[in-house]
Amino acid sequence: MLAATSLRILAPMGEALLLGLTTGPVCLASCGPVVVPWMLARPQQMRTQIRDLLCFLAARLAGYMLFAFGAWWMGTEITSLFAPRAWTIGGIQILLALSLLFFSVGWPRLHCHAKKTNAQLVQIDERKKHSGAISLGFLTGINFCPPFLVASVRAAQLEQLPAALLFFLCFFVGTVVWFAPYLFLGFIKRSQACVQVARIAAILLACWYGIVGASTLIVRIFHG
Amino acid sequence: MAEEKLTPHTATPFRTVGRSALLTLPMLLWSLLIFTPVLRQHDTAHSLGTLLVILFTNFLFFKMMRTGKTYRWRRYFFVAVGLLFPVGFISSLLALRGSMSIPIERMVSGDTPFCFMVTPMLLIPAALTRTLIFPGAILPTESNPHSIAAMIGLWFAMTLVMGKAWCSYGCFFGGIEEGFASLCKRPHIRKIDSRFRLVPWAVLLLVVLLSAALFEPFYCSWLCPFKAVTEFSAVHSVETAIQTGIFILLFAALVVILPLLTKKRTQCAFFCPFGAFQSLFNKINLFEIRVDRERCVECSACLTACPTMAITPESLREGKTELNCMKCGACVDVCRKGAAVWHLKGTRIGMKPERVRLFFLFGAWALSTMFGGYILSNAIATLIHFLPLR
Amino acid sequence: MSNRIPSALAWTGAGLTLLIAALVPFLLINTFSRAVAHAGLRVDENYTGGVVVRTIAHGNYKTLVYQPVHPHFFQRNQPFVQIAFEPISALPAEVQEKVDLDGDGQPDVLVHFLRPDTAQNAVQGNISALNSRYQSVENANEKSFSKMILRIGNRIVLRVPMNP
Repeated sequence: MLAATSLRILAPMGEALLLGLTTGPVCLASCGPVVVPWMLARPQQMRTQIRDLLCFLAARLAGYMLFAFGAWWMGTEITSLFAPRAWTIGGIQILLALSLLFFSVGWPRLHCHAKKTNAQLVQIDERKKHSGAISLGFLTGINFCPPFLVASVRAAQLEQLPAALLFFLCFFVGTVVWFAPYLFLGFIKRSQACVQVARIAAILLACWYGIVGASTLIVRIFHG
Repeated sequence: MAEEKLTPHTATPFRTVGRSALLTLPMLLWSLLIFTPVLRQHDTAHSLGTLLVILFTNFLFFKMMRTGKTYRWRRYFFVAVGLLFPVGFISSLLALRGSMSIPIERMVSGDTPFCFMVTPMLLIPAALTRTLIFPGAILPTESNPHSIAAMIGLWFAMTLVMGKAWCSYGCFFGGIEEGFASLCKRPHIRKIDSRFRLVPWAVLLLVVLLSAALFEPFYCSWLCPFKAVTEFSAVHSVETAIQTGIFILLFAALVVILPLLTKKRTQCAFFCPFGAFQSLFNKINLFEIRVDRERCVECSACLTACPTMAITPESLREGKTELNCMKCGACVDVCRKGAAVWHLKGTRIGMKPERVRLFFLFGAWALSTMFGGYILSNAIATLIHFLPLR
Repeated sequence: MSNRIPSALAWTGAGLTLLIAALVPFLLINTFSRAVAHAGLRVDENYTGGVVVRTIAHGNYKTLVYQPVHPHFFQRNQPFVQIAFEPISALPAEVQEKVDLDGDGQPDVLVHFLRPDTAQNAVQGNISALNSRYQSVENANEKSFSKMILRIGNRIVLRVPMNP
């Protein structure tokens, strides 16, 4: 009886962990465009980098949990949850663009005719203290990536809310293993050129997310 | 004029006609060896085009030997390839399907010719899933001789020899903007912040990461300005309309207008991610350009002459060029003090620079003749076919 | 003396570079091409349509059913199953066939198309889903990697989108 109960509880958790481990490369690739320029753009010490990455992952988990709650509460496939799915995706992409721009580069001032004392092409807004880990982590966490959707469908089938949340937690742990390579970004020697390259990449990425988000919304507006 | 005995710190001398011809002879034999199969098999137009190419390339090499200069003669060949490549390519597209837009059938059947600029974007998806994110064929077929394996093999072989000099001896796209850059006598925009040279690295980082995430060649879909002279996806959605607008804008700005105004290769220097990727091979290539600090008077002529701003005040102080040096020879040719010299890594700066130049040129010119010469002869044959000769 | 060894090595390297350049068109291009070809890589199934899992013979022509193709990572295409009919010359003027895509013995889609008269003519046809796993394709002119009815070479290629 005890064994059967344990199995009933542990089996979905094991399934979630395995799902997270097998789909980890997708998370590595999908979060890479956001994480890599963002982390490289901030010339900080290793400890601060690790702290930022952990904050990012925690906020990503919060996004997951919010989604898990929604999936369980609705009790149906997440793909049909959002009838206005295009609005959600487009909105998330635009928010991600703005967050990336703000937290990677501040409000950039491009110096075309730089003063000789100014070493940086793109200056960061020094008044800003927050690293952006929470915003960027949360927005990537509620992104509609395919393994995430598969996990949410499964979570929605579980009867109890704690089980659904635990399912997503195990799925999350499985994917986090694949984020370990990003810690090594801290070891890359952070020359001024490297920081500048990362910031320019973050600006370009933000522009792309903005364009894609805007085109998604435009299609939704005009074509329904 | 007899060739002076070369000693360190000697400016490149002129050569006699005889000596120049003697040095050109191996190149002539090489081009005959490379193009004889074409001369034997193809029609009159191709044979004529090939003969013209052999004469053209060997004449230019002769002038390089005779004058001791590199940049100007290389530029004639490079611009010719850049301008004639679209002629041959677009004509074949129009003859085959009447349009420059890529039909989806071509992608599904694996008939899309492989473009070397995709190479850095293939790496991560191939490493993670053993999948090539390009709608081509791995092996050559009758309908697609420019297969993925063949083109990567060709590019890698040439890069082993040339390093980043691929960008000034091989890349036909660069020839287009070099042509526009050489039209005006004087630049209208003189001051460009050299730190914009970091943008290609940022674009490289971006396209590599996004190609892995989206599992498509991101640069080709969204950014490549040279779709204006090759082929592109037809507009059938808001997204493809935006993509089309972006590449037209980038082509107009970076390939035509800015080179005209600045006399620099602005697309290569400030945008091209493949150029940034190719720069990495300069680390292992033996040939480079260095500046002899003892002879340099910091007149900045080399800074002005360099088409990609690969020499900066900082690098000049250290006596070297930046990683994105394309070894076009512009700085060497313009330096009146003989401070900017061809250099072989591992030797003393200024040691036998002309010999270094010869070693480099024989390899680079041989391969550019093979690659660019083929493109030129095809384009000339296409033009001949259009002439109302019959 | 200490300078001679690096210098000698450098000039040897320069000479080898020339040798490599000479070997490029005759040996190295083929060698590197074969290395790439034998690296165990494949072109993305989103373009190729995947591998054939079943062949149904119909006398002079055959129907090829491919393995389902699912998107990689954040690829924005729908999953699909490709079907091909070849050779075109052996096809009847009108083809109407129920095809089992998942190998369970039950037909999943009804394929209907007219054989194009010339290479330039578009294929007129549609695909009706008989199973909720698949989507119908009504408009033959609508083309995307996951939804098409096209003539490609000597085959008619159809792609049936799958519900995610």
